[in-house]
Amino acid sequence: MIVWNSACRSARLSTRPLTVRRCLSQRTLDRLTDPVQSYISTSRDPYLNLSIEHFLLQQSAPESVVLLLYVNRPSIIIGRNQNPWLEVNLALLDPSSHDQSYSEPPGLGAVDLVRRRSGGGTVFHDEGNVNWTVICPSKDFTRDQHAEMVVRALRDCGIDRARVNVRHDIVLDQGQHSLTIGSDDTHSTPYQTPEADARKPLKVSGSAYKLTRQRALHHGTCLLSSPNLNIIPHYLHSPAKPYMTARGVESVSSPVGNILLSNERFIASVQKQFGKLYRSIGDAQEVGDEWQEHDSVRKGCDELKSPEWTYLQTPQFSISNQSDTLTDVDLELSVRNGVISSGFCGTRKSGYSGAARTGLPAGLDGRRLHDISSWDDELGGSLPSVSHDRVTRLCKWLHMMLPPPIGRPNTHFR
Amino acid sequence: MSVSKSALVRALHYTSVATRPRNTCLPRSLSYRQLHATSRLDVVKPFLLADIGEGITECQLIQWFVQPGARVEQFDKLCEVQSDKASVEITSPFDGVIKKLHYEPDDMAITGKPLVDIDIQSEISDEDAEKLGGTNGKQGPADESVAGYAVQAGGGSEEIAAEPETAARGTPEQAQQHRPRHSREDKGSLATPAVRHLIKELDVSITDVQGTGRDGRVLKEDVHRHVSQQTQEPVSREPTGAAVREDRKAPLTPVQMQMFKTMTRSLNIPHFLYTCAADMGAITTLRKKLNAAATSPEQKLTHLPFILKAVSLALQHHPLVNSSLDTRDPKKPALTYRGTHNFGIAIDAPSGLLVPVVHNVQDLSIAEIAVQLRQLSDKARNNKLAPSDFSGATFTISNIGSVGGGVVAPVITEPQVAILGVGRSKLVPAFDENEELVKKEELVLSWSADHRIVDGAECGRCAERVRALLEEPGRMMVEMR
Repeated sequence: MIVWNSACRSARLSTRPLTVRRCLSQRTLDRLTDPVQSYISTSRDPYLNLSIEHFLLQQSAPESVVLLLYVNRPSIIIGRNQNPWLEVNLALLDPSSHDQSYSEPPGLGAVDLVRRRSGGGTVFHDEGNVNWTVICPSKDFTRDQHAEMVVRALRDCGIDRARVNVRHDIVLDQGQHSLTIGSDDTHSTPYQTPEADARKPLKVSGSAYKLTRQRALHHGTCLLSSPNLNIIPHYLHSPAKPYMTARGVESVSSPVGNILLSNERFIASVQKQFGKLYRSIGDAQEVGDEWQEHDSVRKGCDELKSPEWTYLQTPQFSISNQSDTLTDVDLELSVRNGVISSGFCGTRKSGYSGAARTGLPAGLDGRRLHDISSWDDELGGSLPSVSHDRVTRLCKWLHMMLPPPIGRPNTHFR
Repeated sequence: MSVSKSALVRALHYTSVATRPRNTCLPRSLSYRQLHATSRLDVVKPFLLADIGEGITECQLIQWFVQPGARVEQFDKLCEVQSDKASVEITSPFDGVIKKLHYEPDDMAITGKPLVDIDIQSEISDEDAEKLGGTNGKQGPADESVAGYAVQAGGGSEEIAAEPETAARGTPEQAQQHRPRHSREDKGSLATPAVRHLIKELDVSITDVQGTGRDGRVLKEDVHRHVSQQTQEPVSREPTGAAVREDRKAPLTPVQMQMFKTMTRSLNIPHFLYTCAADMGAITTLRKKLNAAATSPEQKLTHLPFILKAVSLALQHHPLVNSSLDTRDPKKPALTYRGTHNFGIAIDAPSGLLVPVVHNVQDLSIAEIAVQLRQLSDKARNNKLAPSDFSGATFTISNIGSVGGGVVAPVITEPQVAILGVGRSKLVPAFDENEELVKKEELVLSWSADHRIVDGAECGRCAERVRALLEEPGRMMVEMR
């Protein structure tokens, strides 16, 4: 009965397709048509939170405005079109998989790797970072308006060093307080230093967008009190980067810092500013694990967790060890859509080129890069003209640059 | 949009007629036009990638949601593109069938260029028609403000005293095609709701505003310009008042374009400059005598034919300076010693810099060279130069001295390896062999050579030989054949 009721109501109010399951309450579904909606997630699961976010983007009424706030357990979120091998030190993600010899485990345990649906660069999420998302109609959308809203929320909490910069990120200026009047302008503060000054502003929030025909989604992070600032750079620095040439969006790295504000205070302030901006008084609706039961949310989650989505959505790239003088067997691999498409292998020589090169070892052509769990197994027998020692060294290099991925995404509760 | 249906029919008829021969295969049996009051477009049109904002000119194509042959309805997703922080879904504004995808995934798609070709099977509004390419050569993005900017490039100061005809121009072809339909009355209805709102806000009458958009429609830029014009007009009307110092963008003329392309290629050449000053006294005396005996003005000689002959004689001893360098294969430069001396002569024509060629200078007498030079400059002045007049140069001489100049650093045109710039001769004080102060008529000759082929000493020797020949014209006689 409930299903039929909601069918009629939905048909009248919006044109979205009907995929209702019993477990999402009627009230929740009705809320999707409210002009101003505010949600807060109780889950720490990045896959679920991003799927809820996507569900809201697709299902909320076209003229409505939606706010969603969520916190994730430690995870690395790469942009829609980024390259995980280039952006992330994949070996660190699963501490049980890498050998002790080349780095200390950072002590974070397993860290999820998630490819989100919006553009932009790679970010690290943990419990000291609050994520905010605003979904609004496309025609009213500008890239700065919601970053400005968040800056107002921060300033309300006494963080007057915060401002929006030209890349639509939120930064904290580090200079001395100058006497020039700090105004309501969210793009400048009294702490700004002239260009030549070495004290760069610290980035505390990065933004990314997803634009569809009717709806615009803007989400961003906010570093409030992350305990992991000093180890984040290890995760976001890939040893393979110098050896890769790639298409796709690269991350722009900036020095980051904590705002030093509690999550609760920040969340309350953002909700208040959102209400002020859109002239609405209302409580935030809690969302959480129960949303997993909903068909399209679960499908979205499954897609985000799948290795196909995570790895095969990578734009074309190639990796070559020719610039690494410590290796003596040349190797170059071209990878398209996460699949090894071409390459060659050969002994390093001076002067002439090409004579000792062979094509790809047979087992590699057409292989999904993330399926390869052991380079020794792949290359071991395929290079008969090369000495065993050299092959071992080559495999070790490959293992460092293109480590076997972690197992299934972290499903235990944190 | 309150455009009349007949106007819409006419508009679409003009556009589809203009493009029909090229890219359609109209089924004659399906003549929708006779059945409907508004016209349907049964043509395949390229749908352009619209401006996604932030001044972004290109974005990466992430994935396609359609393939050629797929039927799409209005608002169906076509593809997803990504630019820096934004991933954007592009939807189809029309019903139709996808004919062709212009990019592969991972390619960079360019704003304003075709994204897909669609066989449109719905009625389309004017706004949507703007998103298509292949109409009158104007492929502006759908974003009005950018289209307005491109159109306004037609003239800054001219706009202020605009006539209806000049204001309606977009590109020249477009103006011609739409002028029959453009009139002040139509203009009132050709503005989008956003522009009308602005007009209301600024309290302006739409009929006062000159539209510079397509079909004379009024754009936001036009409204803003009109408003600032109202405040500026008293100033600009004063005859000797503040001159209007506006920037004016202009497309390159064909001559400028050619010069641009040629000189850009010349950037690859490492030039060195060698200058020397020749005493033109002897030549001038000789010229005066010969010209006094000339029977007609055409026979009068300037110093240029002498210089050409002197250079040609010197090149017999320094053939490297007359060679051609082919660098199409950067690993294998090909040097050709040219048998003839074909001198390009730089001429300042009304349309700009032209370099017609005097062929076979080695076989011409000085008088014949003078005749050729005169003919070329006459043709240049009357725009009668043929392509054959420009081909085959092995060396170039630029007589900038007709304008002025001392030392100049001329630019070599590939495949040549050297160029001579001739300044203006002037009287200077000098010492003769008795160390007495005398007047000398000095002419600075500036040689530029390609240091990949010609070294300083070789160029210098050639230059000194020319100088010796000019200072002592008798030597030219001795060398001539």
